[in-house]
Amino acid sequence: MPHAARSLLLGVVLVLSAATARGQGQPTTLERIKQTGVLRWGADPSGGAPFCFNNPRDPHQVVGFEIELMALLARRMGVRPELVRGDWNSLIPSMEAGRIDVVLNGLEINEKRKDAVLFSTPYFRFAQQLSIRARDRDRYRNLDDLKGKKIAVLKGSAAEDLLLSQGWTKDEIIGFDDSLKPYDVLKHRRVEGVLCESIIANYYAGTDSRILILPATFDPGEYALALRKTDPDLLVEINRHLEDLKKSGELGELYQRWDLWNDQQEELGIVKGRPQPVDPLAHRVSGLNGETLLQIGKELLEGAGYTLLLTAVSMPLALLFGLGLALLTRARRWWWRLPAQIYIQIIRGTPLLVQVFVIYFSLPYLDEVLDLGGWLVWPELAVGILCLSANYAAYEAEIHRAGLEAVPRGQREAALALGMTERQAFLYVIFPQSFRIILPPVINDLVSMLKDSCIVSVIGVGELLYVAQSIGKSTFMHAQMLLAAAFLYLVMSMAADFLGKRLEARLKQSGTTPVAGHAPRH
Amino acid sequence: MTHSSPPASAEVLLEVQGLKKSYGGHQVLKGIDLTVTRADVFSIIGPNGCGKSTFLRCLNLLENYQEGRVLLRGEVASEGRPEGHHPSRAEEQRSRQLRQKVGMVFQQFNLFPHLSVLQNVLIGPRKVLHRRREEAEAIAEKMLRKVGLLEKAHANPLTLSGGQQQRVAIARALAMDPDIVLFDEATSALDPVLTNEVLRVIKDLVYSDGMTMLLITHDMDFAREISDQVLFMEQGRIAVQGTPDYIFRERPTQSLREFLEPDAITTRTP
Repeated sequence: MPHAARSLLLGVVLVLSAATARGQGQPTTLERIKQTGVLRWGADPSGGAPFCFNNPRDPHQVVGFEIELMALLARRMGVRPELVRGDWNSLIPSMEAGRIDVVLNGLEINEKRKDAVLFSTPYFRFAQQLSIRARDRDRYRNLDDLKGKKIAVLKGSAAEDLLLSQGWTKDEIIGFDDSLKPYDVLKHRRVEGVLCESIIANYYAGTDSRILILPATFDPGEYALALRKTDPDLLVEINRHLEDLKKSGELGELYQRWDLWNDQQEELGIVKGRPQPVDPLAHRVSGLNGETLLQIGKELLEGAGYTLLLTAVSMPLALLFGLGLALLTRARRWWWRLPAQIYIQIIRGTPLLVQVFVIYFSLPYLDEVLDLGGWLVWPELAVGILCLSANYAAYEAEIHRAGLEAVPRGQREAALALGMTERQAFLYVIFPQSFRIILPPVINDLVSMLKDSCIVSVIGVGELLYVAQSIGKSTFMHAQMLLAAAFLYLVMSMAADFLGKRLEARLKQSGTTPVAGHAPRH
Repeated sequence: MTHSSPPASAEVLLEVQGLKKSYGGHQVLKGIDLTVTRADVFSIIGPNGCGKSTFLRCLNLLENYQEGRVLLRGEVASEGRPEGHHPSRAEEQRSRQLRQKVGMVFQQFNLFPHLSVLQNVLIGPRKVLHRRREEAEAIAEKMLRKVGLLEKAHANPLTLSGGQQQRVAIARALAMDPDIVLFDEATSALDPVLTNEVLRVIKDLVYSDGMTMLLITHDMDFAREISDQVLFMEQGRIAVQGTPDYIFRERPTQSLREFLEPDAITTRTP
């Protein structure tokens, strides 16, 4: 996510936090979880393997050691885990907003986060590990041997800070956004080493014979679950079960299956358990077979289906809201006109992305403040539809207004002269004509909504772009997936345009040109 | 028939009493009194800006007026309201009832371009009078036959000539079974040939159906031929009222004489 969006999120949450005040006598999160039997947890499947990711052999399935850890934990608690997907940076804000109960997704314990959330006892200890080309094993034995050489890291990671503090210059540190690239450039001799979290090094390079991961580790850290500050009772419950999982060997066995086990985990009190075979998913698979490609195609089409659904539901709603707004702006009384005008100005004057976040996070707050018992905590798809239709309504309102004004005044008079009510005149005479007039700009907006709908992927709606990105991340074919998505967007836009033009032509046959303008009287 | 008052035996259909209307501070109708009995045909003539269109539009409340009242069959159908007055529900209901009984034909036809000719005519009976579809269709077909356009029933109105469009507009007004029809310069937008076909339809309504009507016209020959009474309006008043003979032959006032000068007429006809 862009940096601006991240600070924006923080702002939204800060503003909304001011509004939270849990009413007396309301059930705590733990009580609610026990009551409903559902524990909602947040993770970002597009975030990466092996934490929680789309199975590259079957992208429909979300797998990862954290998925399995949550399954064990929830079973101990006697509840069902429900994965709520979201952009990694929005997970904690989502929890603050009450959309999810806990976050379990490679969240490192640090002092800054401790101010905002409660951390469980750690479930994994990680460290930075240095990888080099296998043939260089005699040249480089530790980090110091690479002084002055170029090293690849993940952008903004702890490894970057570590290298800077050890005397590497900015030019010698090559940052990448995804986890695979550093190892690629290492193999292509563009850098001499990769410094990365051990867990990532192991997944991406663990089975690659050309890469050697040096055993030395630096800068250890720990992952833990994050909870809301207001849920200490849930924390006690989770810590108790987490300890049980550590002691019983279940967690240790899980780490063995994911090839994550090392001695450091014992320092967290995790018992290794019985030896386990390594799951094939624990390491990166390279190469795709036909079956996987077919699966990916199906996934993309399903995502495109969501995009169509979003647009097909949101556009009629936007037209309807927009018509209401347009009628309000034409009202005689200023107290009808003003709110509509303010709404249109605000929506048109702020980015859709901001609106999506504000609506997404304010609904649960509103629900809590108004004490509606979850009535306003909508699923992501519904929130996406709300955002798109609320946004486009402002634009459609302007289009409606222009369309209504383009219908000659004599049409209304002729309808009234027949004895119609204003409502009938509008319904049977004015609106059908203005609708024909506004059809071309509306079709134009329909096509742009198809593409704008990708913005709701930030709240985890599984539409085309979201699917393409998460498959791209799990199969390391990011560019290809984005191109495939772009192609599907193009096909859908052209189809929408074609159908719209046909509708236009059909309506034109039954007469669209308004009658000659009203001649001035007297 | 004399120019003063209608025969006592005839049913009084429409009465206008002291109707006054202003736009802002400018008074455009300065007190109009008029009594129309059944089967009367009134022509309204006068120079542009004399208020004849406004008067007609006040009669079926497309415009509000400030003083006076309009009675339909002896019952108050509308009353003067202060400028900017927002009508109550009851008042709106009453003005709709008035409009149902007072048909209107516009200079620009104002047919509904998104509906077929037949739909244009049946929409009133269907939506306002709540007739069943077949019933409304039967009414519409009857009216289209009357104006000689039944074969165009399924055409788009915009494909018709101006004269045909105006005849459809007449059929649309008649389909509501009005007590009285107002023609607001019904032929002013038409060339002479098309004008004649519309005038034939209007004459037919007068002679075979005995329709009551008020017409604004610039066609003096037509007014003379068809009218029972002619109103000459000037500066928001009915300056002269009388039989066609009285108006066109005797030409009682100076301004009427000036108005009826042929060269003056040609410059004033749009």
